[in-house]
Amino acid sequence: MKSLKNHLSVIFPLFVLLFSLQFAFLTQKIVSDYAQRLTQDYSIIVVAPKSLEEEVVKSRIGGIKSVEEISSKIVLDRLKGSISSQNISLLKLALPKFYSLKLEVFPDSKEVEKIKDRLMESKLVTRVETFAKTHTKIYKMLVLLKSISFVFLIFILIISVLLMFKQMRIWLLEHKERMDIMTLFGAPFWMKSALLYRLAIVDSFLSTVFVSTLYVFLPQNGEVSNFAASLDIVIPKFDTLADAGFLFGASLLFSIFIVSLVIGKTNK
Amino acid sequence: MDHVIHAEGLTIGYGRDEPIITNANMKINPHEFVFITGKSGSGKSSVLKSIYGEVTLKNGDLHVCGLNIKNINTGNLNLLRRYLGIVFQDYRLINDWTVEKNVMLPLMIGGFSRSVCISQAQKLLKHVKLLHKADKYPLELSGGEQQRVAMARALAHNPVMILADEPTGNLDEYSSEVIWDLLKNAREHLGTTIVVVTHHIPSTLGIDYKHFFLESGVIYEVS
Repeated sequence: MKSLKNHLSVIFPLFVLLFSLQFAFLTQKIVSDYAQRLTQDYSIIVVAPKSLEEEVVKSRIGGIKSVEEISSKIVLDRLKGSISSQNISLLKLALPKFYSLKLEVFPDSKEVEKIKDRLMESKLVTRVETFAKTHTKIYKMLVLLKSISFVFLIFILIISVLLMFKQMRIWLLEHKERMDIMTLFGAPFWMKSALLYRLAIVDSFLSTVFVSTLYVFLPQNGEVSNFAASLDIVIPKFDTLADAGFLFGASLLFSIFIVSLVIGKTNK
Repeated sequence: MDHVIHAEGLTIGYGRDEPIITNANMKINPHEFVFITGKSGSGKSSVLKSIYGEVTLKNGDLHVCGLNIKNINTGNLNLLRRYLGIVFQDYRLINDWTVEKNVMLPLMIGGFSRSVCISQAQKLLKHVKLLHKADKYPLELSGGEQQRVAMARALAHNPVMILADEPTGNLDEYSSEVIWDLLKNAREHLGTTIVVVTHHIPSTLGIDYKHFFLESGVIYEVS
């Protein structure tokens, strides 16, 4: 019973830590996936007096993925009934060219301003519409979401370190007598501390298994997937090998660091 | 002849307190049976602790198996301790390990294979007449039995020297006899040097021994 309690005291902070770590990465993935989709939908509209060569625009203005001409045919078709075909032809010649510029990545407001300035300086266009207001609002929301998840992670990390540190000290006091006896018989450092390291490794493994199980089954839950669909987000699948491997590595690194810290401090 | 223990101007004490032993000289040869006696608080146990490096020297030199304890580093101290067998008055057994595993401890530290550790531990437990309690835990044994386990542990790795601090202090007559027999046998058959700290030298021992007596911080060799 005491042993189970000892294990749970380490597994719990490790579980919370790994859960928030994975949550932060998940948020990161969701946000970048969302930003990718926004990038596909987002475009800057420019008005040019002459035809624009895609390669020229790309070489002079960085970060442009594609340049597509917006046909003026729809507007002219609408006017067909009201004005003569001769005037339509004249209008067609007088109308400037409209282009939609797609970007490589979803930019922040400064980058949007930079692109706008570069376009205007290039003299290739006469007018630029960046839809700055809508863009800024969405972008700020994404940044906020990312920041919240990382602040949350740091907060959890501090609490986990303190909890683990406390538990390791309890472990050490419990094992101190055994370690002292082993010291008197000339046991090397690794042998004296082996039990503590073994406990840390086992608990790291168990907490990884618990967190991985949760993240494998959580997206399959009906309520969670419905909620995600209503927000138009896709929850990435948990990669059992890569994600669980990363979590186990992080957990191992963290617990071994704490054990070494406590043992080192006690040896002093 | 090289001495297994050679102390010159040895001064030992704890912290900033007055030294317990001052400017002591002591030479112990290989295969000797040595008693260190003295009144309570005279510093007998401290002398023994200084030999296995648990007490820091304030002054002088103390060579144990050719290593100077004064400036010894952790690596060499660990190495030295692997050649010693220590028996404590309070047994110092690991209570959450079985009797057999406790005896195996010096062999495990020495890097012996598990099968060697087990067979040697069983041999010694048979020797101290506790083989039937190999799977028990120390707290399930009597004081005398625990001390016999501690003695088996001290002998497990055939040490160069056994350092025993009041090994029969709390024991009944039977257990005391077993302990003395084991120490005598170790010296006779394995050539182990024996250093025993005690209040009282048993009169029925029937062997030659060297005797150091401690009084007022000074070590005298009793002839």
